[in-house]
Amino acid sequence: MEIKREDILHLADLSNFSLSDAEVKSLGGDLQSIIKYISQLDELDTENVEPTYQVFEMENVWRADEILPQDASREELLALTVEAKDNQIKVPKVL
Amino acid sequence: MKYVPTIGIECHVQLKTKTKLFSEVDNDARGKEPNSCVSPVDYALPGMLPRLNGEAVRLAVLAGRAMNCEINAESRFDRKHYFYPDSPKGYQITQFYQPIIGSGYVELPDGEKVRIEHAHLEGDAGKLTHFDSYSLVDLNRVDTPLIEIVSMPDIHSAKAAHDYCKELWRLMRFADVTYGDLYNGNMRFDVNISLAPEGSDVLGTRAEVKNLNSFRSVERATEYEIKRQSKLLDAGEKVVQETRGWNDDAGKTTGQRSKEEAKDYRYMPEPDLPPVRLSAEFIEKESAKLPPMPSEYRKRFKGIIANEILEILLDYPELTNKLNEIDQKYVKNMSNLFTSVLLAEEKSAEYLNDLPSVRDLNELAAMNEKKELSSTATKEVFLRLFDPQMKGHGTRQIAKELGVIQENDLGALEKIVDAVLAKPETQKAQEDFRAGEEKVIGFLVGQVMKESHGKANPSSVQDILRKKLS
Amino acid sequence: MKIANRKVTAERLVRDALDKAKHFADYNIFTFLNEEGALKKAREIDAKIAAGEKVGRLAGVPYALKDNFMSPEGDTTASAHILEGCASPITATAVEKLEAEGAIMIGRTNLDAFAHGSSTENSYFGPTLNAYDQSRVAGGSSGGSAVAVALDIVEFATGTDTGGSIRQPASFNGVYGLKPTYGCISRYGVVAMASSTDCIGFFTKTPGDMDLLMSVANGKDSKDLTTLDNYYHDSKLKKAKRIGVIKEFDNDSVDKNIKKALKKKCELLKSKGYEIVELEMPALKYALAAYYIIVPAEVASNLSRYDGVRYGFRSKKSEDLDALYSETRSEGFMPENKRRIMIGNFVLSSGFYDAYFLKAAKARTLIVEEYAKAFEKCDFILTPVAPNPAFKLGEKTNDPVAMYLEDAMSVPLNLAGVPGLTIPAGKNADGLPIGLQLIGPRRSDKSLIEFSKELTE
Repeated sequence: MEIKREDILHLADLSNFSLSDAEVKSLGGDLQSIIKYISQLDELDTENVEPTYQVFEMENVWRADEILPQDASREELLALTVEAKDNQIKVPKVL
Repeated sequence: MKYVPTIGIECHVQLKTKTKLFSEVDNDARGKEPNSCVSPVDYALPGMLPRLNGEAVRLAVLAGRAMNCEINAESRFDRKHYFYPDSPKGYQITQFYQPIIGSGYVELPDGEKVRIEHAHLEGDAGKLTHFDSYSLVDLNRVDTPLIEIVSMPDIHSAKAAHDYCKELWRLMRFADVTYGDLYNGNMRFDVNISLAPEGSDVLGTRAEVKNLNSFRSVERATEYEIKRQSKLLDAGEKVVQETRGWNDDAGKTTGQRSKEEAKDYRYMPEPDLPPVRLSAEFIEKESAKLPPMPSEYRKRFKGIIANEILEILLDYPELTNKLNEIDQKYVKNMSNLFTSVLLAEEKSAEYLNDLPSVRDLNELAAMNEKKELSSTATKEVFLRLFDPQMKGHGTRQIAKELGVIQENDLGALEKIVDAVLAKPETQKAQEDFRAGEEKVIGFLVGQVMKESHGKANPSSVQDILRKKLS
Repeated sequence: MKIANRKVTAERLVRDALDKAKHFADYNIFTFLNEEGALKKAREIDAKIAAGEKVGRLAGVPYALKDNFMSPEGDTTASAHILEGCASPITATAVEKLEAEGAIMIGRTNLDAFAHGSSTENSYFGPTLNAYDQSRVAGGSSGGSAVAVALDIVEFATGTDTGGSIRQPASFNGVYGLKPTYGCISRYGVVAMASSTDCIGFFTKTPGDMDLLMSVANGKDSKDLTTLDNYYHDSKLKKAKRIGVIKEFDNDSVDKNIKKALKKKCELLKSKGYEIVELEMPALKYALAAYYIIVPAEVASNLSRYDGVRYGFRSKKSEDLDALYSETRSEGFMPENKRRIMIGNFVLSSGFYDAYFLKAAKARTLIVEEYAKAFEKCDFILTPVAPNPAFKLGEKTNDPVAMYLEDAMSVPLNLAGVPGLTIPAGKNADGLPIGLQLIGPRRSDKSLIEFSKELTE
């Protein structure tokens, strides 16, 4: 399939990137050739084949409902953000 | 023109687990500081992986069975992607492709059924508080376990929408999977409403009113939407497919920013969580722990408890379940005590957490039946049964301590009556009575009551007196 | 490996390692040198040894940590701008286990940002140079770790392998590199690339060292629900008889020196009495396409959390919330990160999910089945790791698909979750190392490592 400029802009939007024109152009070319490559799967017959999402033979792995001490405190976590206020993470206003 | 509304409802129920869905931190953040119930997993540090809470899976099974739903033998988690600070991972872990709860139905009080399309487990989002030039992010609510219940569009009026939401609330409380505290957002409703001209089999364009947190607001918002959409259609205009918010004070819904294209959440199977495979035995064993559901109680108590009383009781699973345990001949009497005495008490909410034993309640009803307790005394003893100070004493002991047991032993009563009749001061009254003066019987009963220190049953006393004086 | 004892102090070992690290600074191996922390730990271990106290199995052993493992020593950046300044308050389970046995991290190593790449050229800190030829790439994404071991700076280094990120740089630098069975070592605290294929593993100089590290690091972890039971300890060594070679990998895209090296090892095995079995595995042809669908999808998802809100870099242009997200992510990611995120969002997006993501998940089933069938016919499989030895810096940076083709023979293992061990297999005429990979069924890691000793002459 052909990847158009608006497809690139849509994917940039889904990815939350604001791309320069140059990037739109260069990424566009790259994505076109990658999609062409991965589209060769079309030739593979997968009728009646179940999908595999994990290569892990376990199931029902869960934990008990008990409060346990955690590996990092609120203070240690909030120390990682650019700005905290009143024990909350501060972000610029939502437009 | 006349229109038929078609309504489908999505309901989010917060589960009452001790810990969150994917980390071992406190799930109850009420009254706690912002971000004090947040693990590195909830904060979405790099390299953090979800740690599934098995209790949430168990509660989901109970919730599903309460709605007569199939429990799927295999379920999986999926990621739903969107960018917003209330979603630290950049995705919500939910169940899109293979939910744990399959199709079922909810039976409303009037017997109508609303089909359940499916229900799934997922994590809740955090909270933002907006200020003029910035917003603050609190992640306490991130990954509180939720089940989202998706109904089929089987609802056709605002009243039915109200009833469905209320019945769901009851089911979730009977299944004991949520605290069901609507004020604190334990259950939230999204209502999808569309109108179609009467007789048309094509559905209209729907609007979705999100985040309603009371049955009343569900009903009012639905009524408002039906009117709003009717007006638009009458005027030849189109209903826009959009998300709308409800303003409870103004009594209005308003359109929220509608993106020209539907959001693309790019659902993907969650690779960090192994699948959930539940055996029929496990599902059976867990479902066996469920009490009867409201629709079953309606059948069971039909003709025993008046409808209005039963519908009140069904808001209190503890009381209804207790009634179901006591001797059936006392159910009616006890249902009245529950609704007119207990629920009228200021402390009733507190009392509900720790109800008297079935034995004590049966005894109370029996003593009342045998007239050992007058109706006033019954109410008095009944309330003491809830009193933490008296509780352990047992019904009879409490009644004794209160000195309210009526003397019903006819032999003993006769002796007292004889003693009173032998007294000189009652001679005149006896003569008067024999002479046909009916009302002096009251004086004589009073004398016997006095002699018995108030424990005699007045109507038995009167019977004996009449016999002796005839 | 050299372990601290009464004769050789941990401090000596650590000082030597730090000196060598500085000596080889122009290879751009490390993103952080842990001088103070490492020396402090070394002295603590020496004090224990002097006092006759028990020390761990890796006492005083200096090692290099790929910079996508979280620990409070040095910022964990994954060589990505967007994680700049991220001082981790938590420690990865693998790191915890190594350090509990006395291993000492002397530095964090360079990688392709977020492990996206096969050359370490996609690092925010610039490329790491090949241990044998400074004009060539180290391989990737664990380039820094491979070179740190190859130049004998450290006794071992950690790596992550999502599609070859341990095995390929090990082969480019002539060291052992193991991608264990999926689920063998906890991923807790390791910056995720693609959750369903990510594996934690090691670079060592000998199979014996690899065995020791595996026995330390493997095992179930309550913080990673996809970890297996502690099977490594209890593994019975398998008596191998038949070794498979894959017919489809004997093609013109593979360098002739590599083909020669493979033939030579097969001759060696035959001389030792093993049977060589030729396997037909036609589904592997589609592994790379399936991989470059599934992995970007998981990458796009896993990298959604990097938004400038809670940690790491935040763009100066964050005037409003939308800008905070889009500017931070645009400035913070490398071009290869962006390509993979956008491809991932493409294959997951509405209208394309079935044709790409679901199709690839079905292809994955065929690949898993093909390995299962292959291991009915043989005990282990021997193949090239990559089609060529280390290539020139810049040679493939402008052609993402050419770079992806580097991974054609390494990614099928990740899709199937089976273990693979790179073994050094000589050098080509230019003196560049050649590596081969030994592949076994799931949970055969211990036998695989043991068997690799048969391949040394």
